[in-house]
Amino acid sequence: MLENEGTVHKKDLSLLVLILVVGAVVAFINPRFLLVGNLSNTANQVGMFGIFSIAEAFVIIVGGIELAVGSVIALLGVLFIDLIVNRDIDWILAFALIIAGGVAIGTIHGTLVTKMKIQPFVVTLCGLLIYRGAARYYTEDATAGFGYGASFPMLEWLTAGRTNVLGFPLPHSVVALVIVAGIAWLVLHRSVYGRYFYAVGKNEEAARYSGIRSDRVTISAYVICGGLTALSAVLLAMYTRSISPAVHGSFYELYAIAAAVLGGCSLRGGEGSIIGVVLGTILLQVLQNLVNLLGIPSSLNFAVMGTVILIGVLADQYLVQRRQRAPSARGQAAAESKPATLERVSAE
Amino acid sequence: MKRLWMVGVSAVLAMALGTGSAGAADKKVLAFVVNGASDFWKIAEAGLKKAQGELPDYTLQLKYPEQAAAAVQQRMLDDLVAAGAAGIMVSAVDPKNQTEHLNKIAGQTVLFTTDSDAPQSKRIAYIGSSNTELGKDAGKLMLKALPNGGKCVGFVGLLGADNARERIEGVKETIKGSKVELVDVRGDEIDQTRAKRNVEDILAAMPDVSCLVGFYSYNTPRIYEVLKEAGKLGKIKIIGFDEDPITLGGVKDGAIEGTVVQQPFEWGYQGMKLMAKVVQGDKSGVPANGIIIVPGKVIEKSNVDDFMAQMKTMLKK
Amino acid sequence: MREPFLELIDIGKTYPGVVALDHVSLSVAPGEVIALLGENGAGKSTLMRVLGGVVAPSRGTIRIDGVARSSYTVTDAIAAGIAFVHQELNLFDNLDVAGNVYIGREPVFGGPLRLIDRKTLRAKVRPLIARLGADFEPDTPLAELSLAQRQLVEIIKALSLDARCVIMDEPTSSLTLSETERLMQVIAGLKADGVSVIFITHRLNEVMQCADRAIVLRDGRMAGALARDELSPAAMIRLMIGRDLRSLYVPPAAPPGEAVLDVVDAVTSTYPNQAVSLQLRRGEILGLAGLVGSGRTELARAIFGVDPLLAGGLHLEGAPIRIATPRTAIDRGIYLVPEDRKGCGLLLDLSIAENVSLPDLASHSRFGLVDTASEAENADRQRERLNIRTTDVRTSVGTLSGGNQQKVVLAKWLSMRPKVLIFDEPTRGIDVGAKQEIYDMLRRLADDGVAILMISSDMEEVIGVSDRIAVMHEGRISGFLSRSEFSEHNVLQLAVGHAI
Repeated sequence: MLENEGTVHKKDLSLLVLILVVGAVVAFINPRFLLVGNLSNTANQVGMFGIFSIAEAFVIIVGGIELAVGSVIALLGVLFIDLIVNRDIDWILAFALIIAGGVAIGTIHGTLVTKMKIQPFVVTLCGLLIYRGAARYYTEDATAGFGYGASFPMLEWLTAGRTNVLGFPLPHSVVALVIVAGIAWLVLHRSVYGRYFYAVGKNEEAARYSGIRSDRVTISAYVICGGLTALSAVLLAMYTRSISPAVHGSFYELYAIAAAVLGGCSLRGGEGSIIGVVLGTILLQVLQNLVNLLGIPSSLNFAVMGTVILIGVLADQYLVQRRQRAPSARGQAAAESKPATLERVSAE
Repeated sequence: MKRLWMVGVSAVLAMALGTGSAGAADKKVLAFVVNGASDFWKIAEAGLKKAQGELPDYTLQLKYPEQAAAAVQQRMLDDLVAAGAAGIMVSAVDPKNQTEHLNKIAGQTVLFTTDSDAPQSKRIAYIGSSNTELGKDAGKLMLKALPNGGKCVGFVGLLGADNARERIEGVKETIKGSKVELVDVRGDEIDQTRAKRNVEDILAAMPDVSCLVGFYSYNTPRIYEVLKEAGKLGKIKIIGFDEDPITLGGVKDGAIEGTVVQQPFEWGYQGMKLMAKVVQGDKSGVPANGIIIVPGKVIEKSNVDDFMAQMKTMLKK
Repeated sequence: MREPFLELIDIGKTYPGVVALDHVSLSVAPGEVIALLGENGAGKSTLMRVLGGVVAPSRGTIRIDGVARSSYTVTDAIAAGIAFVHQELNLFDNLDVAGNVYIGREPVFGGPLRLIDRKTLRAKVRPLIARLGADFEPDTPLAELSLAQRQLVEIIKALSLDARCVIMDEPTSSLTLSETERLMQVIAGLKADGVSVIFITHRLNEVMQCADRAIVLRDGRMAGALARDELSPAAMIRLMIGRDLRSLYVPPAAPPGEAVLDVVDAVTSTYPNQAVSLQLRRGEILGLAGLVGSGRTELARAIFGVDPLLAGGLHLEGAPIRIATPRTAIDRGIYLVPEDRKGCGLLLDLSIAENVSLPDLASHSRFGLVDTASEAENADRQRERLNIRTTDVRTSVGTLSGGNQQKVVLAKWLSMRPKVLIFDEPTRGIDVGAKQEIYDMLRRLADDGVAILMISSDMEEVIGVSDRIAVMHEGRISGFLSRSEFSEHNVLQLAVGHAI
């Protein structure tokens, strides 16, 4: 049974509980956490970070890793702003170009990993350096921004706007995330292609022997990752409205990997659920929010994040082990009583 | 074998790149090493260009380290010394801990510091602003904006950086004893997404905040945007530093009370001219304590148009 | 003859359901070279593992220097001077020769720093290299050595432990002729130094050349022992076989039909200088016999598109085809049940239904979405047909027994329309009952018109199931046998490269 077939996985459920507990504690200490405005802001962050976390999850599920997420976000963000602000290209066309750029980057990564047999870590690490450098070179290290008063009302409304839904200002990035997550869920957990992703991630050799073109599957995971990263690059660019290419998006791949791991992805591949990844992103963003709301020194931001991830993973491991120990206790005892005694005596 | 081949290729590449920049080697090189990439240094570059026009016997270079890290910058300094730079002006990333290294550089070439000083080092001169003074200017703006007092929150990139600390110090010194209060300063590690997020969170966490201060150049535009999106422009005062176009726009339309700008153009211009003199052996321009303060400028609605026009001419190529 | 220092007396070893060794005795005197013979599964490896202390015998006595041991472990074996040269060499590619020889026992200096004393290390290894006359240095990186040289490193390692008895498991199986010759000299040198050697081999001429005596195992028992002057290939083969095969054979319902798959001069990367041609016919089971490493699996992988063919080609039903990936093979009805069931045949974490549908998901999907109902229905059908013992096709394959797992692999292919089915060791690690079921299924499939190629190292299986046998030796087909020529003797002769 594929671990991920179920609609709500046990792991997802425990993550949800963790989010609710953290949320309740924060709300108890500072009730302003629950203000509509604050929740809407946090949701907006979840929307933007969630999309590239899902992108990362696709690659992790086929057993790869994508380290260039942050650099791609910087490069494509810079290009997007440059296209629409300085080159007066219609934003719809620019948007399409940026997505195409992301897809192209994904294709290159996937091809290098599968056809040239270079380890994904190495390929994407080089990508991380190259795209960051390219972004900085392109703008000559200057900040790319909209400047004062520049206005793209339609684009801004679509990407950074919010729509009032039953009194809740729903950020459009969340709408984008819901659409992306919905499709990703369908693809990963219900489609033929999703089955192939998991199969290749679990055991590429066996997948190949079953007639799956594993190279194609792996490449498409990187392509999906590139495309979705491009989408989030546009959303992030429209959110900050200004991009300093040297630092924009740096470390975001780690946010993505953290969210994926929290969401049940195994870095060995073949495991993970979309709902889990979204929940993982929510937890990370709630943590960031918590640091500000509770007045914890900003410098502790990452430390808080790391600690909570570690606790989450430890708790999960503990639960897994407990679940495994219960039924197999008998078998183990039987196995131990075998010839070991003979060997142990003599070892002295 | 393969590895050897790669080393060979990179060596050839490095030489090819090296010869490109060594073309002007017969002239003495004066280098301006900044602490990281930002628009701010583009202005300094304009000052450098003006100085270049007046110093035909020198080649003036502005150098960006590829990362805003002390180690990276130090390597760049070493490389410059090795390449025989006659003088170096540096905005040290971490002046306190780089002192020893700066001394080594100072032993081999003419060393100026700028932007953030390393007073313990053997640098010949510091030319730049006093961040404490700039902070005091901002503090005055705050007092002016909040005659009846109020709670303020600041936003900054690196809380631990000296320039941040001194600016905050200057603000606190000025508002001491008044009803204006700086209750918190949030750091964002120069991640603009987080910078904006910090502002949003503070608005959520503190409904009674009446003034937001952006200590780094990109903080102020982020504050401006968040307040604009929340419909609170004008209700919450904004005080800024530096001359981001959005900040200046905000000053112009009155949403931002004012911004305190440094004059990197002057650092680049005056600094390079002075350095050329020192290289020639004339130290008369250097004061006894070695510190040359170029005062900051307060930009408010009244003088913003003039300043923008000036900037435009400065940045014109 | 000197007194034996090592005696295994009346050793028995049973695993649940299997008797691996039964009343086997072996004594080793200093400087004696003993060949251990037997078919695959005769119990040679188990006996050696008992000798090495890896496996504790269920019964029998182990006596070292005349003293009976109540317990005997790996540590004891090493202390007694018994050293293994493994078939899959246990060496570190990333260290040099000396580092490998003294791994875990490095001479150190520098107190708590425990720095490796490279000088002493090399000085200790150098005379050992000289003793074997090997052509490498203590500081030669292992990665630069050939397989034969690596074997010498293993032997050096054994000597460094003051080994009195070196056990070699098929040491020449992947050596060239001249390398084999060298190894024979090394064995003779060890003998001269008073070190005993036990070597497992299938190459009878090597036994003739260097063994003092030969022990032959069959089905876990002593089939016989041959002294030096009794050694002859005929005598050895007689002892290795010497048993009545239970007659498994069920003749096909109809005589074999036309050719389905023609393999024409196929060359694989393992044996780039050998071409293989064979023909698979409708309704026929062709057994492919040969020693481990003779190139059978490589041939199967090439036909199925896992590895590329270097030269030659395939004809399916008379038309030439090119198979680049398993996908193309599958699309043409050529299926493989691989040897490595867990690594290549199945995804252990996936359910039975998911495994079965994997190669043919397109038929179990609508608009690209998996139709789990149709998938489960199909799996249920196959479960009944193949008698897979589980109540729910949603259980993960990893929890099934070997026999049931193999049936799941089979179910995968039977849900589609096989033209050619290749089985690589179809019953390895499977209990007797399930074995018979799989043989029955093979025959039924053949009778339904499928052409079957069955690679097997199990003599009983090859002779009892095949309609025709092809034997491979070092990358080429050394002969075909028709039913009337079937005998263990003939298969074995061809497998070791002799003509019948």
